[in-house]
Amino acid sequence: MSNQELVFLSAANLASEIKNKQISPVEAVEAYLDRINHVDPKLNAYITVLADKALEAAHQSESDITSGVNKGSLHGVPVAVKDQIYTKGIRTSSASKIRSGFVPDFDATVVNGLKRSGAIILGKLNMTEFAMGDPITSAFGVTHNPWDLDRNPGTSSTGSGAATASFMCASSLGEDTGGSIRGPAANCGLVGIRPTWGRVSRYGVDGASWSLDTIGPISRTVKDCALTLGAIAGFDQNDPYTRNIPVPDYAACLTGDVKGLKIGLVKEFLDTEVMGVTQAVRQGVMDAAELLASLGAEVEETSLPLAPVSGVASRIISAVERSSLHPEWLRDKPDDFHHNTRVAFSVGELIPSQVYYKAQKLRTLVRKQTLKALEKFDVLAMPVASEPATIMNLKPGIESKEAAVNALTEGSYRGLFSMVSGPAMSICCGFSTEGNNKLPLALQIAGRPYDESTLMNVAYAYEQNTTWHLERPPL
Amino acid sequence: MSELNDDEIRALAKSVDLDIPDSDITDVNYSLNAMLQAIDDITSEGISVIEPLPIIIQKED
Repeated sequence: MSNQELVFLSAANLASEIKNKQISPVEAVEAYLDRINHVDPKLNAYITVLADKALEAAHQSESDITSGVNKGSLHGVPVAVKDQIYTKGIRTSSASKIRSGFVPDFDATVVNGLKRSGAIILGKLNMTEFAMGDPITSAFGVTHNPWDLDRNPGTSSTGSGAATASFMCASSLGEDTGGSIRGPAANCGLVGIRPTWGRVSRYGVDGASWSLDTIGPISRTVKDCALTLGAIAGFDQNDPYTRNIPVPDYAACLTGDVKGLKIGLVKEFLDTEVMGVTQAVRQGVMDAAELLASLGAEVEETSLPLAPVSGVASRIISAVERSSLHPEWLRDKPDDFHHNTRVAFSVGELIPSQVYYKAQKLRTLVRKQTLKALEKFDVLAMPVASEPATIMNLKPGIESKEAAVNALTEGSYRGLFSMVSGPAMSICCGFSTEGNNKLPLALQIAGRPYDESTLMNVAYAYEQNTTWHLERPPL
Repeated sequence: MSELNDDEIRALAKSVDLDIPDSDITDVNYSLNAMLQAIDDITSEGISVIEPLPIIIQKED
């Protein structure tokens, strides 16, 4: 198999080929480094490529294989991580000028998890500055969507989406506060899961919002996502909010059997008048629901009346928590921020306490309402966004107050499950055509706390009966 | 909650030792007032009496 073809293997298949000594880890890393050299100048998905360290790790990995040692499910598989995730001795910038000189002296727990499973870290991925929601704020330049270079790759894990979709890594890690895993997965035609808050350690990750942040995989297939999540999930004594409960073998749970499973279609998110969902997105989600019903799932419409306001509350909570982390930066180094980030941090500081408190009360109501629905349904289904990836506005600033209000409403699609703290994932459910380009559409599947297995199995059943995951962006 | 004007926003910022430069004030105004208006408009049943709950979710065994 040529280097050009090798990168198109799924992470699961690559791991299998490496295990069977059909492909060496060194070949895999070299293939991905070639791909990065060829493709990344168009996308700017990487902040740091760790060519030498990855090759060194690959040689060790190869030596292990030769000695009969297989570390785990991702042995020899090249992956990459968002640049807010600590890597020992390697710059971890959060895509900011302020943190551009920060070199951690330890690996994040999730990086240790990847390494324990045998994965090889290829590099650090671009993102929006301090994981804000605006695609143009990175101090290392804008990342482009591989399906259409003018469009938003999805925020804030911009590089995780772009690099994975363009075959510059076999799988990646992102961080999701208000949708930063699901958004890039949706815009780039990938599979991404925001695990239950507390399922994956946040130790060694630059925080955005303490009560909302989660780390999770962005991958090309459901099985790759399951393997990556399996490598990073679990209790960590360094993160007091992780729970000491068993982590299932997620990949083994992928049976594709959804007979009798109850799926609730959240009607508010499919209402063009309430949420402005486009016809293409709505149709993609409805078609996906129909397919799942044909496989034996019981699909029924359900209502979550508070869903449309969850974006407002989640944005207020994240704005306050984010700006509270390092208030000195805004006062001592205001010019080191991108304009849009500085504005967002300033707003976070000016939100009155009673407004933050009301947002927290709303969070409780939203969570109770959603968990109540999940007593009846095994999973809930809805879009990830109202429309496919939009053209990036490269001009700093906010267009109008109305535009700011609309952004809050749009944030509800992903903010709902950030507020609930349960798992939610995105999977490609088709393509729309905009001009000469195809743009991915996405289905969101969400479920009960700590029940990532059921979500991924529903996604797997869908994936096994569609071919969307086999499409490649026109690079 | 009435909409805050630029002077009021600057005064609010000053009270927390923060300067909002001229280059930022319009965008801060749009974003802050959007949030304040949007949350003010929410009058969901139960919002006045419910208390925030801890984030941690117990797994149902």
